[in-house]
Amino acid sequence: MSHLSRSPTDGYPTETSNLQAATESTLIDHIPDTDDTSAATLQKNAHIQFLIRNLVQGFPSKYTSQDASQPWLMFWTVQGFSVLGVALDPTNKQKIIDTVMAWQHPDGGFGGGPGQAAHLLPTYASVCTLAIVGRPGPGGGWDQINREKMYKYFMSLKQPDGSFLVTHHAEVDVRGIYCLIAVAYLLDLLTPELVEGTPSFIASCQTYEGGFSSASQPYYSLSLNPTTPAPTPTQPSVLDSPRPPLGEAHGGYTFCSLASWVMLQPLTPSSEPKPEINYKRLLRWLSNMQGSEVEIGGFKGRTNKLVDGCYSWWVGGSFGLLEAVGVGGHGDPQGLHDDGPASAQDTENWDDVDDSLFNRKALQEYILYAGQHPAGGLRDKPPKTPDAYHTLYCLAGLSSAQHRVLPSPTRRNVLLDAWESTRGMFVTLPRSRDPLDSLRKSVFADALSWSEEEGTSKFVGGNGNRLNGTHPLFNLTMTHTEAIMGHFYKQKVPTRKKAKAGST
Amino acid sequence: MPTIHTDPPTLYAERSDWADVTPQAQYENVNPLAPIFYTEEYKDATDYFRAIVKSGEMSERVLELTENIIRQNPAHYTAWQYRYKTLLTIKAPLDVELRLMDELAVKHLKTYQVWHHRRLLLTETRKPVPELAFIARSLKADEKNYHTWSYRQWLLAYFNDDELWDGELEFVERMLKGDIRNNSAWHHRFFIVFQSGTRKGDEDRDEVVRRELAYVKQSISQAPNNASAWNYLRGVLDHSHTPYSTLQLFVQLYTVPHSPGETAVEVIDLENPPPSKDSQLPCPAAIEFLADIYELEGGNGIPKATELWKSLANEHDTIRKKYWEYRIREALQSTGP
Repeated sequence: MSHLSRSPTDGYPTETSNLQAATESTLIDHIPDTDDTSAATLQKNAHIQFLIRNLVQGFPSKYTSQDASQPWLMFWTVQGFSVLGVALDPTNKQKIIDTVMAWQHPDGGFGGGPGQAAHLLPTYASVCTLAIVGRPGPGGGWDQINREKMYKYFMSLKQPDGSFLVTHHAEVDVRGIYCLIAVAYLLDLLTPELVEGTPSFIASCQTYEGGFSSASQPYYSLSLNPTTPAPTPTQPSVLDSPRPPLGEAHGGYTFCSLASWVMLQPLTPSSEPKPEINYKRLLRWLSNMQGSEVEIGGFKGRTNKLVDGCYSWWVGGSFGLLEAVGVGGHGDPQGLHDDGPASAQDTENWDDVDDSLFNRKALQEYILYAGQHPAGGLRDKPPKTPDAYHTLYCLAGLSSAQHRVLPSPTRRNVLLDAWESTRGMFVTLPRSRDPLDSLRKSVFADALSWSEEEGTSKFVGGNGNRLNGTHPLFNLTMTHTEAIMGHFYKQKVPTRKKAKAGST
Repeated sequence: MPTIHTDPPTLYAERSDWADVTPQAQYENVNPLAPIFYTEEYKDATDYFRAIVKSGEMSERVLELTENIIRQNPAHYTAWQYRYKTLLTIKAPLDVELRLMDELAVKHLKTYQVWHHRRLLLTETRKPVPELAFIARSLKADEKNYHTWSYRQWLLAYFNDDELWDGELEFVERMLKGDIRNNSAWHHRFFIVFQSGTRKGDEDRDEVVRRELAYVKQSISQAPNNASAWNYLRGVLDHSHTPYSTLQLFVQLYTVPHSPGETAVEVIDLENPPPSKDSQLPCPAAIEFLADIYELEGGNGIPKATELWKSLANEHDTIRKKYWEYRIREALQSTGP
């Protein structure tokens, strides 16, 4: 595989280029010979065994560093099973529900473990775990989530600039915002009050590179801008500018920002000042995160950093989110296939079925060749060991490179037609006058309109590598998303046409 | 695992000064799945911590207990949160706490909590200037650490004090000199030059833009295939609404291979520094940039841009073939009939 060109160093080596070169040398060794087909096989059994070990036997003591992330360890494990198409038996499901419910804080939200303070990140991981294993009724988890207190907890973290602390006395960052909005979507907790100012905050985190940073620095001082109307004493006024991003564009923060942005579309003010993000710059940045052939097409998380399997989901998954807001699109480019040396990418008529804006085939190859640990579990890159986090995000990334899951206007209309006005949690008005009813309806229909585009799935290494599709906003299967949202919005979700491949 | 004690560890369960506290097990009546196998020391300390959280005790010994837990697991945000509240409640000396953080931050650079705790302390002590040197030392251990850079940016923006800002451009230049490809440093440069108000000496914004363009062009000429520098160049132009076409002469030098008879340039055009002789050309980022210039030109520019995009899709940047095809599609559609 030495014919692949290495990243240029321009005769000017630095620490970055040295590290890059060493990584490329390792990755090249993981590109299989063309006659070796076994390398492209997803070792499902080995990965399932890895997950079962984690679930049943538990984690070795080096995972003590994740003691405040127990809900994440659980979510990564059970969602790993879902993507791999493994259903859990009722006994284990019940044990998981009981474990998760021990993390709920008496004042609302979930903590990183029993007795730990509530925190937005474990709240997302707990609720998503319950979406997978829970059910309505006593002991099922869903009806034991204290939604009133959770909403109050969310509001207690809200900052005047539209952002949220991840927990009390802690940092603001877009991971927390994503987790909060995703949970509010799933549990029917979204209100205009909750997310007022949030779209502007997210927009302020976009950097000059196009991706998003962890947070921005608010400026409350009005002296900088005399044209801004004086604030009322209870509402500090936040300036649109300057609100500089803290930290550079980053794959994880970009996913969280973009997913939040997409979910907030029904609530983003259409009047001036309308918050905006630059889609063109964002797309360019996302696209530049894909490593070259010598990096087997894996994704990196920042400019001039190394590829890492987890960005398969955070960055690879962001392309679908952009398409959901109308960036991307279809159609055959004119006059492109007539010239140039045929690259290895062209050999399977791959392009004919691929409307994505990134190289889906190469990303699958990265995960299959470099992401799999021979003993089971997936990883950042060789020669690293596998872990629970990388196992899920490599699998979810592989799934998103196999399937194109996009909002379907047809499906959305079906959901809107089937909507029955129900009472949300906050309402005392008669249903017909409930101002939140139309918001809840559109949130419900938007979230569940995502569907796999038929005939566009593609499996490097053969159909045996097929993984279940996963919802680009939540990282839950469609079935689990429909079940939990149907329950909390009190809706009967119309059945989907069963896709040929049996999508769950 | 970090070593906590130099002596054999003493469990809280064996200590007489903790005998008044009844430790609280993590799980009661639940046999959890996906459990972590804790060391005896960690289990012991957290059992006592849960009891303390329940009783609400805030005291000197709580500081010792939370430090113990944090040293074993620096991501234990509840221990940090409780420690912070205790520090304020018992009015513990915060400069002592900050010195402890000097040690912990460098040990646990990748933990959110060590950096946020530092922020909380600084908002109390309000002595930001010594922090700059501390941050510079931390960056030596990890030059791209996200938290460290964000912390520096927060410090500058939050205290916004001339003494803090004085050496900042010099600092970032040193960092970039150390590694011209360090994107965190490039981002920092953008932050300090363009996103945090106008600093003393930088009132002439046109001059600042000229200075930055000269700087980034020089950097590109040293190592042309450096995505960080190209992104910075675009950032400066976008921010100052300077047309890309003003850079056409410069970027063109990078879109073609070195010519065989090329010798050291006799007359250096300072506006358009040429690619270094060891650089690998053509540079895809330059081709992309030139295509953007042509696209913005419209009309006859579009076919020229299309040719360049095709060369990227099929030869110079094949992994992004789909993206370049998309660019062609978009350009043709927006100029279509």
